[in-house]
Amino acid sequence: MPTAADTPHAGRPRSDELLIEIVDMWKTYVMGATEVHALRGVDLSVPQGEYVAIMGPSGSGKSTLMNLMGCLDSPTRGSYMLHGKLVSALDEDELARIRNEEIGFVFQTFNLLARASALKNVELPLVYAGVPPDERRARAEEALRQVDLLERASHRPNELSGGQRQRVAIARALVTRPAILLADEPTGNLDSVTSREIMGLLHTLHGLGNTIILVTHEHDIAEHAHRIVSIRDGRIASDAKVEHPTLATAGT
Amino acid sequence: MNFVEGVRIALGAIRANVLRSFLTLLGIIIGICAIISVIAIINGLNLYVAENLSNFGPGVFVINKFGIISNEEDFLAAIRRNKDLKVEDAHAIAAACDLADAVAVEVHSTQNLKRGSEEVKDVDIGGIEPSIVDIEPYEVEEGRNIAEDENARAATVCFIGQDIVTNLFGTVDPIGKRMRIRNQEFEVVGTAKKRGSVFGFSRDNFVKVPFNTFRKSFGSRRSVNISVKAGDGVPLEEAMDQARVVLRSRHHLGYGETDDFGITTSEGVNDLWKSLTATIFLVAIFVVGISLVVGGIVIMNIMLVSVVERTREIGVRKAVGARNRDIRTQFLIESVVLSCVGGAIGVSAAFVVTWLIKTYSPLPASFPLWAPVLAFGICAIIGVFFGVQPARKAARLNPIDALRSE
Repeated sequence: MPTAADTPHAGRPRSDELLIEIVDMWKTYVMGATEVHALRGVDLSVPQGEYVAIMGPSGSGKSTLMNLMGCLDSPTRGSYMLHGKLVSALDEDELARIRNEEIGFVFQTFNLLARASALKNVELPLVYAGVPPDERRARAEEALRQVDLLERASHRPNELSGGQRQRVAIARALVTRPAILLADEPTGNLDSVTSREIMGLLHTLHGLGNTIILVTHEHDIAEHAHRIVSIRDGRIASDAKVEHPTLATAGT
Repeated sequence: MNFVEGVRIALGAIRANVLRSFLTLLGIIIGICAIISVIAIINGLNLYVAENLSNFGPGVFVINKFGIISNEEDFLAAIRRNKDLKVEDAHAIAAACDLADAVAVEVHSTQNLKRGSEEVKDVDIGGIEPSIVDIEPYEVEEGRNIAEDENARAATVCFIGQDIVTNLFGTVDPIGKRMRIRNQEFEVVGTAKKRGSVFGFSRDNFVKVPFNTFRKSFGSRRSVNISVKAGDGVPLEEAMDQARVVLRSRHHLGYGETDDFGITTSEGVNDLWKSLTATIFLVAIFVVGISLVVGGIVIMNIMLVSVVERTREIGVRKAVGARNRDIRTQFLIESVVLSCVGGAIGVSAAFVVTWLIKTYSPLPASFPLWAPVLAFGICAIIGVFFGVQPARKAARLNPIDALRSE
């Protein structure tokens, strides 16, 4: 298990500081002559170290919000401060750097590179961060150890189970020691046992100080988080603390 | 994202689709193989010609009426103004040029030979001064060369090539036998060693007779060729200049007038040959160039397909922090690596082709080291040129759209 010294956020801002501050964010898609408002003025703040679930039915705008928070997209209007930086004003290269350094993505469909080993997949963000190969390897191995998959480092994704693939993806998300872990339906493609395993891992990672934002449409998955933000029709419908979050054990 | 990483990814992509990659590269492979093979063949031809086409070696030049003329205009001008060369010109050169070791004349005619009922048509008859063997040695197979006194008294003797031995005498030993050259009886005193053929033209189909005998029997009005051998260690150019001065003064040429005779060296023959092969080479380059351009277009096509197929991969890479230029570099390296792999296969194939030619034909085919280096250079350029567009397309993909693609 990692020790306190290994935790990703030593030296980061204190936990009561805001990591994400979204003010009046709009996202409008123009489809032919009609405008579709995916987000209609969202305000959202996430402090350092929080475990938030964003819930909503499909089409509610939760994926759009997630993409904007992940700097994969830029808002039509509104401001987005991430880790003290005004992200909504950055250009493509700067957004790429933010994605690389500040954000770790976990996708529903894992999105691992099929031809690369687990280790190479985990190394990928470090390649773009310009980390030299030796250090890259060491850090990727450390991240794989954190998700308890070090012994599978040389396996390719098609040689791993769904849960193992998602753990590789989580290791990849963690390897750059990002400010936030953004998990988009991380259990959507997994059975209930494996889902519990992944939720247990997220719980552990949160315990180590990681900020986690979980996007899901399943209520019992959202219940693992400490705060649930519900989105409907591009607006925040409710935002509440979870009194007794479900405790999943890592099951490993 | 460094270069080694890019190459590794590119090789992985090629390995993942071996057959498709190979088919993609076929144009490049054929083009590169063809271009290097052409270089090897022309190289071989040049060597072959240098060894076989010019009879005379280094340090020797031949003065004749026309020299090497490679265009019609020069030829017509030369016909109008060039004077016949006479044996006296040769004697003047021999007397005045201290840089010349040996000077001898030869004059040619084509005649039919007869011996009994046997006849051989269109044989090159050379009237030689016997001292020409100091300049262009005729290696003796049997008998001897023509002697000086035989020339002096215009004896009807001859020295014959192997084709004549075979065609006219068959199994009979020709030494001391007689044969007729245009109604004149000649006695064979020697036979030359076999010299083989160049491009199918036999170099053994000749008869040498003494120069004075030639003049008596076949007429004295032909222009002679004057062979000159420069002394040991004398620069050929200086000896040629001496001979040129002698001839120009004998022909009363003023300052500024061009020579009214030609001087040929073995280098000159080779240069003429090389200018011919250069033309062949240019045509070959043009044809191969088309094949390479087509090969490049195929690479571009397959790279465009690859970008579409790997849209999701591009999305993942962008999501974890790849900048547009990282993606662009990756795909550019990939097309260059693809193209260079084609180049490598092409060069290997050219190696095999060259070896086959060298082994199974008389051409000493070989290509210089710069040929494969150039081939790789061309491949790299093709890879960059035809890879830019697909790479740019990949780099411009929007990360969300890329991630969502199936």
